[in-house]
Amino acid sequence: MRQLTSTLGVLATLALPATAADTIVEANTALLQAGDVVQVAKIPDGIYLRNVNDPDDIIWERLPEYRVELLPAPAVHPSVELRVNYDDPGYYAYLHLARTSDRLYVRMRWRDDTKDTATTKDRFRDAAAVQFSLGDDATSYLMGSGPDEPVNIWYWPGDGGAVQNLAAGGYGSTTILDSRSVTGDARYTEKEGDPNEWAVVMSRPIGVAGDYEASFRRAEVPMAFAVWQGSDGQRDGLKHVSDGWILLDMAQD
Amino acid sequence: MAVKRQLSMVMDLNKCIGCHTCTSACKLQWTNRNGREYMYWNNVETMPGTGYPKNYADMGGGFDEDGALKTGTEPSAEDYGIPWEYNYEEALMTGTDPWLRPNVKPTWGANWDEDEGEGDYPNSYYFYLPRLCNHCENPACLAACSRNAIYKRQEDGIVLIDQERCRGYRYCVGACPYKKVYFNEEISKSEKCIFCYPRIEKGLPTACAKQCVGRIRWIGYRDDEEGPIYKLVDQWKVALPLHAEWGTKPNVFYVPPFSPPKYDESGETTGESRVPLEYLESLFGDGVATALQTLAVERQKKADGVDSELMDTLIGYRHAEMFKLS
Repeated sequence: MRQLTSTLGVLATLALPATAADTIVEANTALLQAGDVVQVAKIPDGIYLRNVNDPDDIIWERLPEYRVELLPAPAVHPSVELRVNYDDPGYYAYLHLARTSDRLYVRMRWRDDTKDTATTKDRFRDAAAVQFSLGDDATSYLMGSGPDEPVNIWYWPGDGGAVQNLAAGGYGSTTILDSRSVTGDARYTEKEGDPNEWAVVMSRPIGVAGDYEASFRRAEVPMAFAVWQGSDGQRDGLKHVSDGWILLDMAQD
Repeated sequence: MAVKRQLSMVMDLNKCIGCHTCTSACKLQWTNRNGREYMYWNNVETMPGTGYPKNYADMGGGFDEDGALKTGTEPSAEDYGIPWEYNYEEALMTGTDPWLRPNVKPTWGANWDEDEGEGDYPNSYYFYLPRLCNHCENPACLAACSRNAIYKRQEDGIVLIDQERCRGYRYCVGACPYKKVYFNEEISKSEKCIFCYPRIEKGLPTACAKQCVGRIRWIGYRDDEEGPIYKLVDQWKVALPLHAEWGTKPNVFYVPPFSPPKYDESGETTGESRVPLEYLESLFGDGVATALQTLAVERQKKADGVDSELMDTLIGYRHAEMFKLS
């Protein structure tokens, strides 16, 4: 198990390139693997994003960025089995994990050549989600281990809808929670000579507002990631996911 | 999927005049609003023809011979036909527009190929085929839903989509080989024919059946041996499922249409069927010839003044006998 730590204080002394958060080819971005512990970067009180969930805020360039490998999720239903392509080489999601004293932020960006923002009869939206275990990392990172070991999911739909605060306790059980405490925002960048990418920020107050919301007032929070490519007809279990849990170190010091 | 009882419908294609009253009844009841405008839970197609949505029979879905789900595709908006409205108010009432015109350029729609059929005069032919959800015994939509949002009611076998559970994945839309599940873009959920269950629960037939001016539709339970469905499907074997080879075991059945004879070059009838038997068998299976034979025999009885229980059933003298809902 590796320990990846950093704080805004340490990073502020390093002259990071101004484009750190905007270039997708980042071979030296630390790769997170299942079981890795990563410290959530602290945004000191008194420092505010331009808008909550602003994916372009300058603060993201001052915080450490990590990456996780995303691979096709194992099919658990015939409808997915009919469509899944396990030969897909996968890709990376680039992550910022940050907190203030009262809010947890996740910024994800990933390569996406096509911007799919429509949900129509035969078109599917891009989407991304992060998942937290309500318990420890013995819970399955694939939608939880049944009703007694559920997960909390934040789902960002690329069609402009609000971020969904979800719970699941096994395949096919995803349920929208009453609490709408999770918010988010996104932007899609098309750049000459660089791959196009989505950047999404989702955040929630540290405190829990309802049942099945993950508590962030604990030492370690298991977290996982998923991305859907609308142009490939991805939805449901037809998606790319990170392998296993990474463990957020929520310590403030 | 075993249910306690199964409601079913039989339609006699010899009586369908293609008036679309069933479609209008269904649309006014369920699909003229709230993102359903493009949907026809019930529609009437000209056969041979493209069907609705366009060429749906080539879009896959259903089950293979081993009972495994087959891949199916979701139709596009254009496959269904993009609904259009006319500027009645401006053109006819206020006079602010000199032309009556549609608000979008119509390029396709249900019944775009109405009454085209096949063959050359005088041997051209077509017939009408009303279609709705088959409320299948083995629903592909249900099997395709990864969320168990689709269920089949124990008391009557009606297949419904739980709107609370549906997350709009559209597997069901592609999986139904009849393309009778529709995606509602306003609510990002799928919707389909509900066999008018609020009416059924009050002892009333579906809107499409009640309004049918040709009285071509019978509704009842499969296991009711005194009811019309058992008589037409199981006893007389004159009502057949559409595309049984797709593996879903439909609960809507059709009495296949008789055909007028072909004409030869001198204008004399040849005795050959104008609607090819092979074509009817491609839709309704091997039982077509036997069904048509039985119908011919019983029809002749009636013509000869002899009683025919089958013909009396098919005539449909009273709604009370056509709809047996208990």
